[in-house]
Amino acid sequence: MSRRGAPWAAVVSPVLLLLVWEWASASGVLREALFPRPTTVAATLARLVADGTLASHTLTTLGRIAWAFATAGVLGIAVGLAMGVWRRFSQGVDPVFAVIYPIPSVLFLPLVGFLVPAGEVAVVATTAVTSFFLVAYTTAHGVRQMDRLVMDAAVHFGARGWRLFAGVLLPGALPFVFTGLRLGLGYALIVVIAVEIVGATTGLGAFLWLSWQVLKVDDMYATFVVIAALGAVLSYGLAALRARLLPWIQDVAQ
Amino acid sequence: MSARPAKVIVHEVSVAFDSHGRRLAALDRISLTVAAGEFLCIVGPSGSGKSTLLRVLAGLQRQDAGEVRIEAGRPGAPLTAMVFQEHALLPWRSVLDNVAFGLENRGVPRAEREARAREMLALVGLTPFARHYPHQLSGGMKQRVGIARALANDPEVLLMDEPLASLDAQTRLLMQEELLRIWASLGKTVIYVTHSLEEALLLGDRVVLLTARPGRVSQIFPVDLGRPRGLEIRASQEYGALLEKVWSQLREEVVRVMWEARGADAP
Amino acid sequence: MTAVAVPLALLALWEAASRLGALSPRYFPPPTAIGATLAGGLGGDVGAELSVTFARLGLAFALAAVPAVPLGLLMGMFRPVRAAVDPYIALLFPVPKIALLPFLMILLGVGEPAFVLTGAISAFFQITISTQAGVQTMDPRLLDVGRNYGARGLTLFRKVILPAALPSIFTGLRLGVGLALVAVVAVEFITAKSGLGHLVHRHWQMLLPTEMFAAFALIGALGLLVTRGLRALQRRALAWQESTDPL
Repeated sequence: MSRRGAPWAAVVSPVLLLLVWEWASASGVLREALFPRPTTVAATLARLVADGTLASHTLTTLGRIAWAFATAGVLGIAVGLAMGVWRRFSQGVDPVFAVIYPIPSVLFLPLVGFLVPAGEVAVVATTAVTSFFLVAYTTAHGVRQMDRLVMDAAVHFGARGWRLFAGVLLPGALPFVFTGLRLGLGYALIVVIAVEIVGATTGLGAFLWLSWQVLKVDDMYATFVVIAALGAVLSYGLAALRARLLPWIQDVAQ
Repeated sequence: MSARPAKVIVHEVSVAFDSHGRRLAALDRISLTVAAGEFLCIVGPSGSGKSTLLRVLAGLQRQDAGEVRIEAGRPGAPLTAMVFQEHALLPWRSVLDNVAFGLENRGVPRAEREARAREMLALVGLTPFARHYPHQLSGGMKQRVGIARALANDPEVLLMDEPLASLDAQTRLLMQEELLRIWASLGKTVIYVTHSLEEALLLGDRVVLLTARPGRVSQIFPVDLGRPRGLEIRASQEYGALLEKVWSQLREEVVRVMWEARGADAP
Repeated sequence: MTAVAVPLALLALWEAASRLGALSPRYFPPPTAIGATLAGGLGGDVGAELSVTFARLGLAFALAAVPAVPLGLLMGMFRPVRAAVDPYIALLFPVPKIALLPFLMILLGVGEPAFVLTGAISAFFQITISTQAGVQTMDPRLLDVGRNYGARGLTLFRKVILPAALPSIFTGLRLGVGLALVAVVAVEFITAKSGLGHLVHRHWQMLLPTEMFAAFALIGALGLLVTRGLRALQRRALAWQESTDPL
């Protein structure tokens, strides 16, 4: 029903907004101390990139996301597959998930801190937690929703064990796995920022918080731009990748 | 047949769609006349624009050229009411409220419209299900509710868009019988679109054959099989002969569509 | 049965491990101890903290839902609205909402407005998107039915479009409340001086793991209650549906 309008249409409105903001900030309609001009933010951004601050924080955050995502992805798919295939397993795990799900990941930092030496490992582990749940859950759902008819037909024509699993089950569940991974990646970013605010001194989240505490508003905005860009890249980048790799799949919303 | 006044006049109607950036002609200068109280069946291969024609008649689609006229005999009566393929009932309303939907929108007071709705439900044999919800009914039952809804609205012309297509073959036979009975007792003007030639010949007074896209009127066959009719007519010689005659005409068009699909408007 | 058995077994395992010292009882106190603390009210005014979080959640949810549903409906029905608003949603949706907290605090000060607004924004996008999807994925033939049977304009909206979108709207609200809770508790953990999230933080800092776990349990319980409650409400209000989605 809806068609993505020409890309330029999507850009015009925000650009206009930025122009209005620029004017409003410069002319004093908006307090410049609270709403710095977009040009100032851009300049700050350039400066912070040039002197390496943002680059190093961004890389730190990205590294943590990568580690967390890798762990969560692998474990999540494994557990998810198990949950999907073995009904009993899933029945036992479901209530545990249900209780843990509403707790914000960042609150697990203390817990993780008990198990594991404080520092990088704790940060990464905490970030991995919610992603893990998301990937596991979506994968399990993907396995369970597999067309019974397709499975029966495959078994009927002699597919067993590994061949059945890798050749029929896995590809069938793949779209959901991908959705889970995409969600997991998105959440990894959200959690890592929060964890960095509370429990780290490096990384975009930590830098954002620090800038706030010393009231360096320009730095705050610049950091926000980077975080937002990161969010967009991770979210839409994976979608584009999925469209390339699995062109026959339509977006399966959870 | 010509003694009856014309109820629906379709004159040189053309409809085209935008598809993938091109103009696709769905209907090309369709002209036909439907007499009052007539049961007209429209048959054609896939893509012949049958449903489009119905939508134009229902006022849901604007034609690009040509004229459509429906003689209004009774003031205040809606010109058309459509029975949709796969019922298209409003899932959040009870059966009774679904049947009364058209009346409700016209401002008919509650007592009156409920009475009328119940009347129609009785006609289609679903009285005990008035308070049920669509998801509790079987396919055949839902379809009957759709018919009751259209009838309750008391239109000048009843439009039916492959109403029995989604039913299994057995239910379909029973429903055809029902339709014959209901129509015989109400005598409405009906325009009925179907894929099934057997069904068209069973139900209709005349059968209009459309060509493959763009849809044009290929031929119109009168069905002189007498009234009232029942399912047993299918065993008669006249029916068989008519079926052969019309099918040989239709076959050409269907084959044409089959081959066209392979040609592909490649995406 | 497994649904109850496995968690119980896990708790029993934890209890044993903690008492026997396999799990350090200093960091992982036995569940019975946690239960006792809970019963005893966490040595403080648990009721107050709970109500604070609940109040923030309620406010955040209302602040999100009230504009989000109409906006989603408009976006679903009118292409120009969709085209105008889509770019902002697309840009802001993947941004961690917690990153907005510092900005809100400069603008509104370190206090309730900033906390509640962060929660509201978290829920806002989800509710808008779900509502819009509800309108756009409705069976288009129901629109035909509406128009063919005499419903136009506002009547068509009220009698056909809105009911058809309702399941999706409800799902969006459920997801939204979950997101709002997560955001509110996270904010409490990071910076507030009250609420369940803050409770976890305080007990962490004071190295009172028993109380900390108790607070965890409360948060989990609150979340479960709220989402289950909404799901029950959805089932009741939308009794005409065949099934509610499993999430």
